[in-house]
Amino acid sequence: MMTTVHFFDSPHEIYWGLLIAVYFYYTGMSAGSFILTSLGTVFGIEKYKKVSKVGVIMAIVLLLFAPLHLLLDLAQPGRALNLFTHVHLTSAMSWGVYLLILYPLCLMFYAWYLFRQDLVNGLNKGGFKASLYSFLLFGKKDMSETAKAHDKKQAKFFGTIGVPLALAVHGYTGFILGNVQARAIWHTPLMPIIFLMSAMVSGTGLFIIVLMLVEKFKFGRLNDDIKSLIADIANLMKWFIVVDGALMITYFIVLWNSTEAGYAAGYYLLHGEGWSFLGLENGLGMLVPLLILLSKKARQSLPAVVTASILTIIGVLAMRINLVIGGQKLPLTGSKIIEYVASGRDIGIVLGIAVVAAVVLSFLYAVLPMNRPGAQEMKSIPTTKGVAQ
Amino acid sequence: MGKRYAMVIDLRKCVGCHACTVACKSENNVPLGVNRSWVEELETGRFPNVSRHRLPRLCNHCENPSCLNVCPVKATYQLEDGTVLVDYDRCIGCGYCIAACPYDARFINPERKTAEKCTYCHERVAVGLLPACVNTCIGGARFFGDLNDPNSEVSKLLATEAVTVSKPETNNRPQTYYIGADEKALRPNLLKIVGGEK
Ligand code: SF4
Ligand code: SF4
Repeated sequence: MMTTVHFFDSPHEIYWGLLIAVYFYYTGMSAGSFILTSLGTVFGIEKYKKVSKVGVIMAIVLLLFAPLHLLLDLAQPGRALNLFTHVHLTSAMSWGVYLLILYPLCLMFYAWYLFRQDLVNGLNKGGFKASLYSFLLFGKKDMSETAKAHDKKQAKFFGTIGVPLALAVHGYTGFILGNVQARAIWHTPLMPIIFLMSAMVSGTGLFIIVLMLVEKFKFGRLNDDIKSLIADIANLMKWFIVVDGALMITYFIVLWNSTEAGYAAGYYLLHGEGWSFLGLENGLGMLVPLLILLSKKARQSLPAVVTASILTIIGVLAMRINLVIGGQKLPLTGSKIIEYVASGRDIGIVLGIAVVAAVVLSFLYAVLPMNRPGAQEMKSIPTTKGVAQ
Repeated sequence: MGKRYAMVIDLRKCVGCHACTVACKSENNVPLGVNRSWVEELETGRFPNVSRHRLPRLCNHCENPSCLNVCPVKATYQLEDGTVLVDYDRCIGCGYCIAACPYDARFINPERKTAEKCTYCHERVAVGLLPACVNTCIGGARFFGDLNDPNSEVSKLLATEAVTVSKPETNNRPQTYYIGADEKALRPNLLKIVGGEK
């Protein structure tokens, strides 16, 4: 066999690192959790109506923080406005900018109609909450039957637009990679679909955990109603994992049998990135939760469902990193794998944004009326202002 | 018909001196650690049957440039004469073009903080000079000119010599033509790089 030795090469760097992978991860979980919780409002599956409020707040917050990663990854963040003033239809990144505006806007309208009646009901609480609610209501305090019917109709309307927008806001990130014909590992029409399916998995995983926390802190405990709903969601998650796994296997088989670059990419995923690709992404992150969720008993046990959820959340993060960064480690010229080590700045940004997003999310759940069919919030200690005269 | 610039590199005449790399750096003020133009050198075979190859690389000023297609703000644009340029005042530094170029031709300039690559020495060409690398090449291996002019050196070479381009399968239609290039030099040996070659 002929050997080739390079002894002079120009150094190349990986420019899309951790921040881009995490950005894809956030938009995915936003889309996933929204689509899941729209099953009630949009698709009319009654029992999911209980969780639409929790889901939409989570989807909005994730989506508001997601683009921060992008912004901070730009070499010229101060010029981000150029994205709005110069549209380029051949660039998936250009489509994304509009989706990143439209999708959260639509979700905010949707949320407003979902919450409106509870906001009106909460006005008598007094104190900070009442002022906040009254601000959020923009004067729309009408509680007549027609107004209520209108809320329902509008929520359904915005939710229905929200679903394709959610698909698009995450699907487009798949196109960002899929459209790059230079890199065999990205260049497949499956890419947007794989991204969407893994988003359903991680979005559902994170949603289950958030839902449990919200129920616990807002209603004091998880009643049987919610427990059985969580078992249902866990069952759905099982199917999401099955489809996601099937897509990954399909992707890999075709990659393995494609061009030399494709085969080499597949080989690299198995060997070079083996622990992360096989171990973390597909083993721990996909196979183990699937095995857990296969059992009906496990789906009804909260610790088992939480374990499966956490594993999928980790697994999908690994998948985003393996694809985005791994895809750039294979060189296009020269003779060496391009190494990547996340900079301290990037790690700091990712952790910082995660903490702030968690705080904002908790704050919103704490102050917004999370009443749902079948449960009222715990009475908070009445403030003097709140006491009736 | 307008002009269509292209480069022909006759590897039989290249001695691997890297003068082009240096000339480009000084002409275009390219910072340390990044290159608009560079020369890959490699050795193939096993002793005693060995050979050395050199492959000068630069932006191919592709006919269908993927860098241009993916740029979200149209900061990358192409002139009538085929030259692909970056508007340094508009580029947001997103790096999409770098990820999408099949030839590693681009980088973020660490000082200017925008995408950057070979410009065919646009300012020189505009006043009738040759690109710095072509001008400086000691072996006379690099040729630059207009493909639409049948009397240009590049047109004559393309008509009379067997030429190859790097990664013709990309649909980028690269416009750097090599004479006497070894296939092994034109693309990385990925299988070997990932450890899959016995
Ligand atoms: S070689 Fe790369 S940077 Fe140059 S025009 Fe082609 S795709 Fe663009
Ligand atoms: S880095 Fe600049 S030139 Fe490249 S795609 Fe982004 S905006 Fe366009």
